[in-house]
Amino acid sequence: MDPVVGHVCRGVLALVFLSAVAHKLRAPRDFLATLRGYGLVPDFAAPAAAVLLVGAELAVGAGLLAPATQRAAALGALALLGLYCASIAINLLRGRREIDCGCGGPGARQPLSAWLVLRNGCLALAALAALVPSSGRPLEALDWFTIATAAAVLYVQYLSSNLLLAYRPRTRALA
Amino acid sequence: MTALWISTLLLWVAVAVLAVVVFALVRQIGVLHQRIAPVGALMIGGGPKIGESAPVLELEDLAGAALRIGGESASRRSTLLFFLSPTCPVCESLLPAIRAAQRSERHWLDFVLASDGELSAQRRFVAEHELGGFAYVVSTALGLAYQVGKLPYAVLIDEHGTLRSRGLVNTREHLESLFEAQERGIATIQDWARDRVDLTEGGNA
Repeated sequence: MDPVVGHVCRGVLALVFLSAVAHKLRAPRDFLATLRGYGLVPDFAAPAAAVLLVGAELAVGAGLLAPATQRAAALGALALLGLYCASIAINLLRGRREIDCGCGGPGARQPLSAWLVLRNGCLALAALAALVPSSGRPLEALDWFTIATAAAVLYVQYLSSNLLLAYRPRTRALA
Repeated sequence: MTALWISTLLLWVAVAVLAVVVFALVRQIGVLHQRIAPVGALMIGGGPKIGESAPVLELEDLAGAALRIGGESASRRSTLLFFLSPTCPVCESLLPAIRAAQRSERHWLDFVLASDGELSAQRRFVAEHELGGFAYVVSTALGLAYQVGKLPYAVLIDEHGTLRSRGLVNTREHLESLFEAQERGIATIQDWARDRVDLTEGGNA
């Protein structure tokens, strides 16, 4: 596959994971509460799990940017997205839609929905695309411009989708 | 080749601007939501219904004093049950609002803080946040009786032991909406919104 596709995917995923780390570190107590809300880790293990998750997200986000580690990081991203997908799906099956997803940071409370599973699926698709070997075409200036803008645009759209999902209950209440 | 370059560059610029515009519009939706919808404590889950008698429970507070929740009040006062937990950050952020409400509503309303779990943690929480002025009950039965699934949760019981309002309380406005509910006789913000919709639809017909 053309190297531009892989670079764009890695760029978006790095932005998503690093911003996730940033909002978790800004409000660690809220993150802990969100993690407990999922009801998947025993209470005493929650702080350790929280540290582990933040560490993993940081490693994945930073690893995607370095050529030497990008393959391992893409696999890590796939694993993390799979984990989140499973956690959301389990709680959806339990019928606990009202817990906070924790996706949009502490400011945007977001209930669980099937849309989140779909969205994580799209991110996982990007991680898979980042794993496909590139054709090795040498990149020129326009390619780098494409990569930077495409990654930024996709990330902004990810933010928009987060907000829209957070508003959904309120929009429904008005309808 | 130059034509392609220029066209791609311009298109990307246009896409980037559009993405920013969409994001800004989405943010605006959030602001509109805050402005148009009156905030209110959201009622969720099962448990006793508004207008029914609240379950009568004989409990003990942290100090060991007997406390009756529900039933006809001898002192003709209403009760606000506020469910919280030492491990819930939102509950903590609401404590100043609770204190202020206790002062401003003291002529008709008693406050009872209700929690569940380890006693030593509860005592530490009470000491840390100087909650000595409140009746503080630690009881699983109380939470079960009202089927409290999410915290912080508040329940308003009037002087006759009738359930007046209840719901998830995330902000000071939510809390105040419960007092409003008592004054206006409308149980939840959802009821209020529904009545308004009925009115407008009736007007159009």
